[in-house]
Amino acid sequence: MSAAATSHEHAHDHHAHDHHEPGFLRKYVWSTDHKTIGIQYGITGLLFLLFGFFLMLLMRWSIAYPGVPLPAIAEIRAIPGLGDAFESMFGRWMNADGSLNGEIYNMLGAMHGTIMVFFGIVPLGFAAFGNFVMPLQIGTIDMAFPKLNMLSYWFFFISCVLMVYSFFVGTGPVQTGWTMYSPLASTTGIGVTSVWAHGHTWWLTAMVFNISASLLGSVNFIATIINLRTKGMTWMKMPFFCWAMFVIAFLLLLAFPPLEVAAILQLSDRVFGSSFYLPTGLMEGGKHLDISGGGSPLLYQHLFWFLAHPEVYVLILPAFAILSDVIPCNARRPLWGYKSLVYGVLTLGFLSFLVWAHHMYLTGMGTMMSTYFQITTVLISVPSVVLLTCLMVSLWGGSIRFNTQMLFASAFLPMFGIGGLTGLPLAFAFIDLALHDTYYVIGHFHYVVAPGTIFALFAGVYHWYPKITGRFMSDRLGKWHFWPSLIGMNLVFAPMFIQGMAGFHRRWYDGGKYFENTSGFQNWSTTLTHKIGGFFGFNIPDNMLSLNIVMSVGAFILALGQVPFIINFWFSIKGGKKIENDNPWGATTLEWATPTPPPHGNFLFEPVAHRGPYEYSVPGHGADFFPQWETEQGKPETKPTADKALAKH
Amino acid sequence: MDIPYTVTSRPDTGLYNAKIGIWLFLASEVMLFGGLFSAYIFLRVGADYPWPVWDLDVKLGFWNTVFLIISSVTVVMAWASIKLRKYTQYKLCMLATIACAAIFMVNKSMEYAKKFQHYAVKLTDGTILTGHLPQGYQVKFENVDALELTIVGSNKAVDADPVNHVLSSVVGDVPKFKFPSGEEKELNKATFGELRKSMRDAAFAKMQDERAKMIEAAEKAASVATTDFAKYEAARKLTIAKNYHSLSDTKVKLIPSAPLKIAAKPSQFFGYTDTSLTFVDGTIATGKLVDDKMTLEVDGVDTRAVAQSEKSLAFDHRYLGEAWQKAFVANRDHHIADFEKKYPTRDKAKSATLQKESLFYKEFHSAEPPAAGEAHGGKHGAEAHAPADSHGHEAHHPTVVIEKKDITFFSNFTPKLNTYYAIYFTLTGLHGLHVVAGAGVLAYFLFFNGRMLREDPEHLANRVEVGGLFWHFVDLVWIFLFPLLYLL
Amino acid sequence: MSDNIEEIQKSVRKYIIIGIALLALSGFTVWLSTVELPTHGLNILVGMIVATFKASLVALIFMHLNHERPIIYKVLAFTVAFAIVLFVLFIVSAQDPLVFEGFYNRNE
Repeated sequence: MSAAATSHEHAHDHHAHDHHEPGFLRKYVWSTDHKTIGIQYGITGLLFLLFGFFLMLLMRWSIAYPGVPLPAIAEIRAIPGLGDAFESMFGRWMNADGSLNGEIYNMLGAMHGTIMVFFGIVPLGFAAFGNFVMPLQIGTIDMAFPKLNMLSYWFFFISCVLMVYSFFVGTGPVQTGWTMYSPLASTTGIGVTSVWAHGHTWWLTAMVFNISASLLGSVNFIATIINLRTKGMTWMKMPFFCWAMFVIAFLLLLAFPPLEVAAILQLSDRVFGSSFYLPTGLMEGGKHLDISGGGSPLLYQHLFWFLAHPEVYVLILPAFAILSDVIPCNARRPLWGYKSLVYGVLTLGFLSFLVWAHHMYLTGMGTMMSTYFQITTVLISVPSVVLLTCLMVSLWGGSIRFNTQMLFASAFLPMFGIGGLTGLPLAFAFIDLALHDTYYVIGHFHYVVAPGTIFALFAGVYHWYPKITGRFMSDRLGKWHFWPSLIGMNLVFAPMFIQGMAGFHRRWYDGGKYFENTSGFQNWSTTLTHKIGGFFGFNIPDNMLSLNIVMSVGAFILALGQVPFIINFWFSIKGGKKIENDNPWGATTLEWATPTPPPHGNFLFEPVAHRGPYEYSVPGHGADFFPQWETEQGKPETKPTADKALAKH
Repeated sequence: MDIPYTVTSRPDTGLYNAKIGIWLFLASEVMLFGGLFSAYIFLRVGADYPWPVWDLDVKLGFWNTVFLIISSVTVVMAWASIKLRKYTQYKLCMLATIACAAIFMVNKSMEYAKKFQHYAVKLTDGTILTGHLPQGYQVKFENVDALELTIVGSNKAVDADPVNHVLSSVVGDVPKFKFPSGEEKELNKATFGELRKSMRDAAFAKMQDERAKMIEAAEKAASVATTDFAKYEAARKLTIAKNYHSLSDTKVKLIPSAPLKIAAKPSQFFGYTDTSLTFVDGTIATGKLVDDKMTLEVDGVDTRAVAQSEKSLAFDHRYLGEAWQKAFVANRDHHIADFEKKYPTRDKAKSATLQKESLFYKEFHSAEPPAAGEAHGGKHGAEAHAPADSHGHEAHHPTVVIEKKDITFFSNFTPKLNTYYAIYFTLTGLHGLHVVAGAGVLAYFLFFNGRMLREDPEHLANRVEVGGLFWHFVDLVWIFLFPLLYLL
Repeated sequence: MSDNIEEIQKSVRKYIIIGIALLALSGFTVWLSTVELPTHGLNILVGMIVATFKASLVALIFMHLNHERPIIYKVLAFTVAFAIVLFVLFIVSAQDPLVFEGFYNRNE
């Protein structure tokens, strides 16, 4: 042990004693350490969440104020010199008068969906938290294939670059929704001089990289969980977090390849002129296309939704995973129904492969298929309810600490409940006939994913931030973050149910202005909006369109609410309150047994799981938590890491 | 710091990491090819044209099967040899595997290359003529006296680019062009770049000018406004004026110093009329259409989509004519009679092979149709003309000149032709990529892991086993691909 | 698989026999496709059965799936189940007998 190392603040921080310190590039860029990769994924994911959110703000402006120039555009354009430079870069994204048109709205919509799903939440929920926390929780030194792990991140990075680049090619990014339904997606802009001048080709190429990245990631996760669990960490002593990651990895492993097939076939349709998804006799602009025909648009939808339904669970399971750590820790109570949670998540994973075509009731798929998919869809709500109920009951009788992560966690439960329950009617084909592609559907899945998953992700950030940086995030700023977010989210998404049931279609760029003078556009909610607006001196008309303004205001509140988070996140790295020990929340799972931040190789002693992961308030035990790694006598001896790696066998 | 269980197995699972990894990867691959195979099923079940059966070179496919199976045996032998510490045998087995992979890929690329040269032309009545295009297919224009370019105001996908998209189709020397400025210059990247820049600058200046005028007008209106409404209107107009930003497209004509001759491939243009041709970059050439007929050396007539096959458009007097029609009818009736004799109770329409033999006539062994007597049984015809076959295959096919109005669709045997070839190329192409990748990995183990072979053979055995598992999977996919695409 | 040297020595012979069997079966498949069975569908069915048999020989013997660890079997069982779902539901959706033809019957 070197003398320099002992003089460190942490007396036990001598992990590097026989390693030479890796250079900056090896340590932060080409790192094979699962923690660094997790952080890389996390930062990228957060940036993309912000980017996708910004696209959504532009869309909301267009919906609430169709045809009105974007705020401050005139001022920016008027700046001498800079204004014209701005124009030459972004001018193509606006009308001559500075407003957005339908074409650009379509691009924003497609990219918002793609970025939020494939570049925001999955990298953050699965890759970032999974990479950082999962190996620590099962007590291993790293992933099973560290180099593949690094490759996974860099594939993902390439796909990010390609996806962002698609904004700058000739036709701009894709306009056909995040689902890319063919034949529309196979033929739009087919006449451009080069296939590479069309954003769609870039979208497909980016997705091929993205899929390869998640494939590598999921192989790594499963192999690690199967083979690298530490001594005593039996399957049923594994934290629920790892179980959820295990199931997500399987979903990604088995569901993504059909999407890859779908992307390859669509790419072939666009680049080689094949007709996989193009039926015979397809016409565009009154002319027969120069294609052979004989394909089927339904084929694309099957391949796409075979991925995209399991993908929904890839989006939501990280939330349950994170909350299964946050809630017991802050309620100081064991997780209720650990076994039901585990079997529930396994059932959920299995069933999620059998329900995909409930997105396709209106494709003319046939009644027999519809019936089958209605049954499986209703079935899958059972394990989802099991998961939510277990988390809710875990609160019962606890002595709850309402710190920021617990606020987000406790807001998650009702918000996800709303999202889940509004989904039930959609499971039935006859209701879906009316609600398909309306704002009702948008409201439903955004309640699941936005105040659902994203709140849980925030909870996760506040929860593990001290482990990553050694400092707390500010609780006061956290509350300033939480309350506007909660209010904003509900203002944005709740009116969508009302609009959706009135028949508002999800792809109207002008928010339904065309129907402004249609009768029957009033109800209690519009009257309420009208009256509240009038009270503050705004003249808001008493019809459904006024809800657009409510939602957009909600979105701007939500945007303001993220400012404290961004400040909190960056300033706490250096300026946050320092933690007093390695286990600041008094948690029980193994990641809190490591030094802070965890060194390369993670543990200073060989971790052994002596008991289940959620032993809070154990009767007869002194402290109100009993960590997995502590023996009845107390903490285990610390040993140098190098010896530990050998001692493991 | 070493990751545990890279060489030895974990006691309770009995596996080392890489083995779990490769099996998971293979599971994912199963879903990848599962998706492709289910696409195959979906397309075949839903096909609205006769699905090709025995359309590919079965002999070639069979030999490829043989080589893949041999390589599968040698790769597992390589693993066994390393376990038994027979290093020479290990090296030989690995070499054999890689050699088999190389042969496989050479065969495959020969098969592909043939397809790219071979064309199918669909006529308006549904008949498909297959054959070769000795001169390619080009639309020819003469007396082209102007090129009209559209230079768009902002960055858009379709922008005039005559240097890349027009000049390549000009026959003979490219003359100088008269630019709008009046100068005569050569058209090349530099001169066109200058032209484009000057046009864009002009559009930009015009826009700024318009904006200034609009602002001025709005300000003037504001200054004289008296009523509230007029003030509001003026303010609104001022906002719009300040926001005004619209670069218009400009059209430019380039006049060649001498009339051009143009011969353009279908991939180079959007469409044409008798007097003008629109290139893919939007440039319009005005001139006179001289030729848009297609010369095809026919090697097959597929009449399966025609109700009365003997009346197919292919046997029109302009095309193959009566003699070929007779030969076709004789061949068809011969096959049908044969079938009825062999299987008296079966439905003729349900036999894929009969449909193919009788309605897809491929007995084009000579430019002349077989005489009536010979045609009884295509075999005799084939033998009679065999000598002609041996020197120069293509020269002895009947040549037809097809008019544009009779063609609905044409393509070489690429994914564009129909969904069968689309899925054929996708499946075999992806499989080929797997072969290359697998052989690459095995070659790496053989050539770059010599030290590991000496020092840690157990680790290398694991590697070879994992690489071998992947290789067997590639073989396994081919076992399904071969019958599905070549035979059934 | 076992690391037992003797067993590996024995299995080398087995590999060669299986390889020859696979080659023979390939020839059989080609021959089979020239036989005119009552329907072409039957040809496809028989051809696929032979192919599946060949594939299982490769998987069981060459890929050692005849004696593998339980966890691998579990992973593969799920994969195969989902692949079958992919095949079956695609075919069923393409051939669903209960298709709603629309309010106006085309054959009117």
